[in-house]
Amino acid sequence: PEKSARVSKVRPPLYQYIRKLIFSDLDKSSIEHVLRQLRKLPWGECESYLLKCFLKVHKGKYSQIHLLASLTAGLSRYHDEFAVAVVDEVLEEIRLGLELNEYGMQQRRIASMRFLGELYNYELVDSSLIFDTLNLILVFGHGTSEQETLDPLEDCFRVRMVITLLETCGHYSDRGSSKRKLDRFLIHFQRYILCKGVLPLDIEFDMQDLFAVLRPNMIRYSSMEDVDAALIEIEEHEHSVSSQKENNEKYSDTGKSPLRTSSNTSVN
Amino acid sequence: MKSPLDRTKVVLRHLPPTITESMLIDQIDIRFVNRYNWLYFRPGKTSQKRQVCARAYINFNRPEDVIEFAELFDGHVFVNEKGTQFKVIVEYAPSQRVPKQWSKKDGR
Repeated sequence: PEKSARVSKVRPPLYQYIRKLIFSDLDKSSIEHVLRQLRKLPWGECESYLLKCFLKVHKGKYSQIHLLASLTAGLSRYHDEFAVAVVDEVLEEIRLGLELNEYGMQQRRIASMRFLGELYNYELVDSSLIFDTLNLILVFGHGTSEQETLDPLEDCFRVRMVITLLETCGHYSDRGSSKRKLDRFLIHFQRYILCKGVLPLDIEFDMQDLFAVLRPNMIRYSSMEDVDAALIEIEEHEHSVSSQKENNEKYSDTGKSPLRTSSNTSVN
Repeated sequence: MKSPLDRTKVVLRHLPPTITESMLIDQIDIRFVNRYNWLYFRPGKTSQKRQVCARAYINFNRPEDVIEFAELFDGHVFVNEKGTQFKVIVEYAPSQRVPKQWSKKDGR
């Protein structure tokens, strides 16, 4: 049977130009130039197309994702609404990925995690958002009837997602509240992994690398009892710290609350 | 981190793919006109491959408005022209950041 010739998509010149800038011109040495060109664009016409291209991080080179985050930061000075939209869209991608859990989306989902981490590195999101996302990944769909499709026992994809995000930006959580949050998260993460049973070797090695970089002295728990005991301990400790803090705050003046330092340790 | 009581930005998810910004705003403004200061609509898409639901981000003036809005819209079912039902989810937006410049959108 005769097949009709495949019609290639014809894009308007403006879109072609945007694609050329982002998908072929962009590299470490050209980023200043690309940023300037993007700023010159007629934003009213092409802002949503630009957003679409930025969200195609998985189409570009994995090692260049930080350049897109850097561009987002550069553009945020003039087009704050664009930077806000990029962050919202990346978070939506991550959420949608958890809802669908489709095999074909995996590459894209890993790229989104990396992008979110880079957006944190360029100060477009704060650490509480990173930890909210990490926690969401561990619990989404659990305890519902859909758990078997959303996060089957033998499916280790969420482990990869967590590792990717922490590889990208975990090293900044080395002091203060963000350090405490990471310590706590890593124990929850260990518990999640223990539920999975034995990890495939490649993931296990990535895990070991991650711990070696972020917390070389942290114990890797081998039983559920040990990890649960560790969680109870950390919870009790945080509880006593936060009640102390509350007492202190009662007597101190409440000045402006800085946006960036997300300091309250929330104990649920 | 903003405590739940300070949060004013919500996301509406799982809106019908064919809904337009003005259709949505009409629905919202029945009760909430002038009670929000920023709305960002992300249109949905229907192709043969997949269907993408529309979304909207809204920043309300006061945290209490969010509660009232969620009571009304969370779980609200939109029916499209083909009779398919879409049950809307209202949640606090994970990122509470709203653009600094307000020039582009004034809610209307």
